[in-house]
Amino acid sequence: MLVAAVALLWQALPKPHRDPQQLVRTRMLMGTVVEIRILDDDPDRFQSAVDRAFAEMARLEEMLSPHYPESEISRLSMPQEFDTPSRETLAVLRIGQEVAAASKGAFDLGLGNLTRLWGFVEGGSRVPASGEIATALRGVGVGDVTIRQGRVVKSRADLALDVGGVAKGYAIDRAVALLKQAGVESATVNAGGDLRLIGDRRGRPWRIGIQHPRRSGDILLRLDLTDRAVVTSGDYERFFAVDGKRYHHILDARTGYPATGCQSVTVIAADAGLADALATAAFVLGPEAGLEMLSQFPDVDGLLVAADGEVVTTPGLKERLQWP
Amino acid sequence: MAVTRLWARLTRLDRAIVLSLLGLCLVGMLRTRSTGPGDWLIVERSGDIVFRARLGSDQSARLSGPIGETLLIVQDGRVRVESSPCRDKVCIGMGEIRFPGELLACVPNRILITIPGVRPEGEVGYDLLSR
Repeated sequence: MLVAAVALLWQALPKPHRDPQQLVRTRMLMGTVVEIRILDDDPDRFQSAVDRAFAEMARLEEMLSPHYPESEISRLSMPQEFDTPSRETLAVLRIGQEVAAASKGAFDLGLGNLTRLWGFVEGGSRVPASGEIATALRGVGVGDVTIRQGRVVKSRADLALDVGGVAKGYAIDRAVALLKQAGVESATVNAGGDLRLIGDRRGRPWRIGIQHPRRSGDILLRLDLTDRAVVTSGDYERFFAVDGKRYHHILDARTGYPATGCQSVTVIAADAGLADALATAAFVLGPEAGLEMLSQFPDVDGLLVAADGEVVTTPGLKERLQWP
Repeated sequence: MAVTRLWARLTRLDRAIVLSLLGLCLVGMLRTRSTGPGDWLIVERSGDIVFRARLGSDQSARLSGPIGETLLIVQDGRVRVESSPCRDKVCIGMGEIRFPGELLACVPNRILITIPGVRPEGEVGYDLLSR
């Protein structure tokens, strides 16, 4: 009777509210919340793989963040030469260079001084004077950051780097590589809404809601995807208002001011690093030129919400949109 | 009848143990029934749980972090950040959460608010939100 009572008690005790086939862990990294979700019959066997994935993202944050004075990006932004960038930093810069060239300078890796001036790095957001913007844009343009024999060459010694448009996506890709290496077949890595999907959701595609750029809490539409990266850039993410006018954080490298052509851009690609940079670039270019740029990249799809709310997409995506 | 005979054979101590265990079972069952996924919110600061509350009871909480106090409001089964000392107020802009698996975060103040559990399939029509 005692055994029966204990068994009954065990059954009746409140259990932790978790799905035994899902492992969900979150960490604050790269200025956002990163969630790794693994679906498996025995997901706990991947605990150490998740540890490694988070550790890798933390390592990359220390390497690529402008907030750390000793990061490689901070050191590359100094006038003194920094001769030994890591292969990870070079990989991020190469993605940025590719997108900078494709966007004809709308996206640029040399905007560190400009983003700092607007207060998007250290706070104190304000609208800078036009003279200050012109100064911050000195040396900025296609080819301002190049890589020669493993060394980073800048157009000017005081050009500061900004890899914010690539780094988070690249870190997601590295985390995914480690999870896949450990044998994970169904999972998601979600860094503040920038997503990478591993496989499908155990027999069906992942259902991805795309944030409505003007209605917080609502989705614009849904996409069913498998094994892809999905990154959205929107003017609603980080902004400040002065005299009723909103100034957001996606700056046009050609003018030095927030881009005005789009409300949001979603890019679907194989890698989150490329999708991250392309989403920023397409946002700056606007719907028409943005779509044209995306069409240069095979295996990339995009959805752009223009400033007037009109939605345009690459041809491959049109039939796959599911409106609410 | 068999139970009565068995009960009669038990010592006082046996009876006390059995009754205690049955009482614990009852309490456990009642608790299980009243706490399903999505009934609670948990607040973590730098990885440690610093606050728990039922979603069903309206309340507010001031949560201290490295840059100041984040004011959390629980109302009508939903949770939102009402005020925050952070610069960009992204945590306020994240709106309300109410489903298991959803979260709010104030990264500068190291505050993470989650509703534990896994969202039932089909509840909101998507698995993940790209934003």
